[in-house]
Amino acid sequence: MEEFLQQVVTGISIGSIYAIVALAIVLIYRSTAVVNFAQGEMAMFTTFISWSFLLRMDFWPALILTSLVAFALGGALEMIVMRPVEKASHLNSVVVTLGLLAIFNSVALWRYGPLPRPFEKPEVFTGSPLDVGTITISRLNIGILAIAFIIMVALFLLFNYTKLGLAMRATAQNPTASRLVGINTSRMLALGWALSATVGAIAGMLTAANQSLSIDMMLAILLFAFAGAVLGGLDSPGGAIVGGLAVGVIQALAGTYISSQVDIIAAFFVIVAVLMVRPTGLFGRRVMRRV
Amino acid sequence: MPAVLRTRTIGWALLVLVLIFFPYFHTWWGFSWFLQHLESTTGINLTVFEMTSLAVWVVILTGLNLLTGYSGQISLGHGALVAVGAYIAAILLDRTATPVAVAVLAGGVGAGAVGFAIGFPSLRLTGPYLAIATLALIVSMPQLLKHDDLIDIARFTGGASGIDLPTAHAPGSVEGLMDDRQWLYYSTMLPAVIMTVLAWNITRSRIGRAFIALRDSEIGAQQMGVNIAFYKTLAFGLSALYAGVGGGLFVYTQDFASPESFSTFQSITFLVSIVIGGLASILGSVLAAAFFTFQTGVIAQLADYLPAVDRLRWAIYGATLIVVMILLPAGAAGLVQRLGRLRPSELLAVWQAGLRSPISALRAHPIFERLSGGRGDDGRGGGTGTGA
Repeated sequence: MEEFLQQVVTGISIGSIYAIVALAIVLIYRSTAVVNFAQGEMAMFTTFISWSFLLRMDFWPALILTSLVAFALGGALEMIVMRPVEKASHLNSVVVTLGLLAIFNSVALWRYGPLPRPFEKPEVFTGSPLDVGTITISRLNIGILAIAFIIMVALFLLFNYTKLGLAMRATAQNPTASRLVGINTSRMLALGWALSATVGAIAGMLTAANQSLSIDMMLAILLFAFAGAVLGGLDSPGGAIVGGLAVGVIQALAGTYISSQVDIIAAFFVIVAVLMVRPTGLFGRRVMRRV
Repeated sequence: MPAVLRTRTIGWALLVLVLIFFPYFHTWWGFSWFLQHLESTTGINLTVFEMTSLAVWVVILTGLNLLTGYSGQISLGHGALVAVGAYIAAILLDRTATPVAVAVLAGGVGAGAVGFAIGFPSLRLTGPYLAIATLALIVSMPQLLKHDDLIDIARFTGGASGIDLPTAHAPGSVEGLMDDRQWLYYSTMLPAVIMTVLAWNITRSRIGRAFIALRDSEIGAQQMGVNIAFYKTLAFGLSALYAGVGGGLFVYTQDFASPESFSTFQSITFLVSIVIGGLASILGSVLAAAFFTFQTGVIAQLADYLPAVDRLRWAIYGATLIVVMILLPAGAAGLVQRLGRLRPSELLAVWQAGLRSPISALRAHPIFERLSGGRGDDGRGGGTGTGA
């Protein structure tokens, strides 16, 4: 039982990172209906930028500055490269995001080199791990979970209780109709990308604090974050958290109890199984379309 | 203007001639000079072996285009189906004395069955959900192939080291006519051409029209009497059959199958290739295969031109993807198709205008407006009904 709980906790700590990246994916999907493959690399790139900030200041001001940079970067990317392919098929947008993935990965390699770098943790999270009964939890993992939760609540409030959020959702679902009722759809799409890049930047900094900063750090995470986002439902911020955590826990449990060789298979098997029962994820809503 | 003289007809005739005689005349004086020049300037290495791999990718990407381009179902894990076909063929060739053709076909049928089975879950999934479900296949594939704990799969698949086949040799009956490489070329190119023509016919049949109707509006198609469940699973099965045959041919030409041969990255590149080549177009699939085969060579060549930015190679690749998507939303096939509709003299005019001052003249030229006339359509462009 102890081992079981400890594995669940390990799973939750891996999963909390997936959860934040999944939140960024959900955010962009909900506001632009595009699945962004460059999400992880954008986060990695902004984390390298935050590294230069960290040389001059503390963690929290650096986080805020990086978020601002990421906000501008995300918005600019939407306006420069996504807008021209907006009207083409969704697959074209996907290919463009894959192109962005290649660009960010390569520019980071060129600018910062292949070696991983140590990344400063915020002071609050550095203390000795907490003991709850026989289980140990690191402070950083609790911090990551808390931040994921705060972002989720903020997004929930934004999307469900503000006019801006409503406009963003409307734009993703039906751009033409949204334009007809007076929504500036271009601005909404850019805002969606900007917010998503911001959430991604926070995820990147926390990932780097948890492991270390390297150009490959987000590749595997992105894959599982996708899985988590889909598991929870691509249009549900709460689902992203649950999905991300679930993927981490399944990975940890399957790795311990079934076989260390099946952790990835098990995670994806569960996702496919869940999708069979609920085709739009656990908390996703089925979109009705009029023909 | 007689039909014989249309650019399109001339293009096809030339292509057929080149495909038939390629393994022999690539060593001829003028031609070999051209190929060497091509290799040293662009990095496109047109050897018999590369053309053989091209044929393999044509089969696989044509299958993927049937699924994604025509019937609108995204598969991010097509490499998994290729792997199924490849491993079936490899195990048959390795352990039994199965003839190659039978082994490749068995690979195709086996992968087709798996694809048909995947088709059932796909009935409930759409868009990104389907994409991730198929991605799950390819991501788990290496772990599955190497697995020896619960079920000893590695005993059949050779685990991490894969299956190493003896090099394929030309049979004695063609002794003196062709060497091993030329034999491989013909024995891969022939099925590739057959399967491409088959796909071309399928897309123009009742099945192809049902796929397109399904893609454009599922509910609309249902109202028109298209059996959604049947055609969706059929698209998966058919596409998997192509992937399996492609996998079998891959093993036969490479003499090798290992878990690393079928990476997630490769599967994503399949999808990128058909979008670049042109969705819902057989010509697009062929161009996609060319893109897939030669991209590494071209990227490596870039490093020679720009040694200072060696590490930026992939950035240039990514930028190219983005630029192609912005300028040619219907992929390379869309451009070729519009050029193909012009008469040779008009084509010459485009070419000359392009030469005079590359972009500005081309922009000002009225023909450019005809070329870019399709920019505003749905992005699948000329593909919907007329893809060549």
